[in-house]
Amino acid sequence: MMLVINDKNLEVFIEKLKEKFDFFDIRNDKLPFKKYFFPPVQEIFTRNPLSKSKTSDLKTAKTPAKFVLFGLNLPQLEALTQLDEIMQKPNEDFFYFQNRKQSIVIGLIDVEIDAMPGGDIIFQKIGEGKYKVWAENAKSKQIIKENKVFFEEIEDEEIESARSFELSEGAEWSKTMRELLADSENLANAVAWSHGHKIWDELAEKCLGCGICTYVCPLCHCFSIEDRVGLDDKCSRCRKWDSCVLPSFSRIAGGHSFRPTIKERYYNWFYHKFVRAYREFGKSQCVGCGACKKNCPAGIDIQEILKTILEDYKKVMSDV
Amino acid sequence: MINNKPRIAIYDFTDCEGCETKLVSLREKLLLLEKKVDIVNWRLGQEYFEAGPYDITIIEGAPITRHEVDLLKELRENSKILIALGACAALGGIPAIMPEKDRKYWYEKIYTSQYAPRGIDAVPLSAYVKVDFSIHGCPIDENEAVRAVEELLAGKTPSYRGYSVCFECKQAGNPCRLLENKPCLGPITQGGCGAICVSGGSPCYGCFGIRDEANIPALRKILEKFADEKEIERYFSMFHSRTEDFNKNKEK
Repeated sequence: MMLVINDKNLEVFIEKLKEKFDFFDIRNDKLPFKKYFFPPVQEIFTRNPLSKSKTSDLKTAKTPAKFVLFGLNLPQLEALTQLDEIMQKPNEDFFYFQNRKQSIVIGLIDVEIDAMPGGDIIFQKIGEGKYKVWAENAKSKQIIKENKVFFEEIEDEEIESARSFELSEGAEWSKTMRELLADSENLANAVAWSHGHKIWDELAEKCLGCGICTYVCPLCHCFSIEDRVGLDDKCSRCRKWDSCVLPSFSRIAGGHSFRPTIKERYYNWFYHKFVRAYREFGKSQCVGCGACKKNCPAGIDIQEILKTILEDYKKVMSDV
Repeated sequence: MINNKPRIAIYDFTDCEGCETKLVSLREKLLLLEKKVDIVNWRLGQEYFEAGPYDITIIEGAPITRHEVDLLKELRENSKILIALGACAALGGIPAIMPEKDRKYWYEKIYTSQYAPRGIDAVPLSAYVKVDFSIHGCPIDENEAVRAVEELLAGKTPSYRGYSVCFECKQAGNPCRLLENKPCLGPITQGGCGAICVSGGSPCYGCFGIRDEANIPALRKILEKFADEKEIERYFSMFHSRTEDFNKNKEK
């Protein structure tokens, strides 16, 4: 038996959710879903040391009301699972999970899956206007129970062929990318080997260093901290997304920079994603969503870069 | 570094006074500021003035006449910290769009040949004196001005935004202009403006100054795909034609 929902009921179900929770449809967002848990700019605490108030003058970022994130696709759901893992190491990121714990994440996918890649509820398109419903944790089962009139249980055989859907934009690119990512060990070795490769010189000429690729990446999670003492004596600590392609990110106190050129900084982005991530987590920090390629004003395609590196690495390895 | 309650002077040279107006628009925050500093000289904002020396001198506008250039040098000598306020002071700005060599022609055309120009040239403050910090923008973002003052009061060296306008533009939810083949200088321009122009449907002309280590030649290559040399020049010359950063990159 499987749980399904049709188009019309899905709409009503969404309306029900909107009545109960804050609701965000992420499908047209310019920035990835990570912003709901890890905002681009977040004042994490403030205090006023000159305050005469008897209560504590320390105020930390507020816990948001429960909210629904709707519309994550397969790579995004995988990215969410991976980002949760990243944010748990080495210590749990308090402010990330403060938001994350308030969320109900709903995926919307048009490909077959064997198991839930992430999220709380997944609607998997299985026919015209029909979705298979995946919900495995207590939180999601409860929501479905409360709204059971919208769902229906059917026999497994009743599913129409799920193959007839048009591939969404960029799906071909994602497919190839995911094939490359499948051997993340090879990818890690190749990228580590490529340090002196001429491709990084070419990219240094092309890359604007604007940081957009890191902002739109669902897995990039580097930030910097900005402290302020306001005119009203309020002290605040703010954390902001930062980008490893920006010079200020590599600079330390006293002005020294560990990666003084865009070539080194851009390579470092790859190094973190494909080499360090593999060593620390056993997989690349890339889910092949294609956001970096789609949003790069300079038209840089990371897949092309990886293919070139992998090809040359293979040649070198076979010569040994 | 500076007195407990620093003495501040705010001056203006040739400009539209828009950046000073932005300071006035701080309203209640100006009163908070007034508790922390003594604004002892501000032609636009108050009726009394005290002579220097000053702890901080904030100057708006481009020094264009001999009088302004002399005053600028004198202010530099009498100020511990000198800050450029807005694009005209920091980059030369709108007055600097026209190259010096073209001026004679336009003087005659607009004001007749009887006109005796007082202007020498329109260049940023930094062409004549050392500038300690620039509060960028045309006009400035008033909160960025507050941030600079806060950092000075906290004993820090004010910092420039290390990121591009793109960071704020993405947060504003704008589609990328360059991807739509529309000119934009956002990727090479310092943030701090909140991407106000792009959000309003206009290109970024880079009034917040060139970002640290920006790859200007790479942006030019992208612009060349859909704009001719003359048009590209027009975008860059809006604020940058008289800046060292820009001209250095042009030679490459």
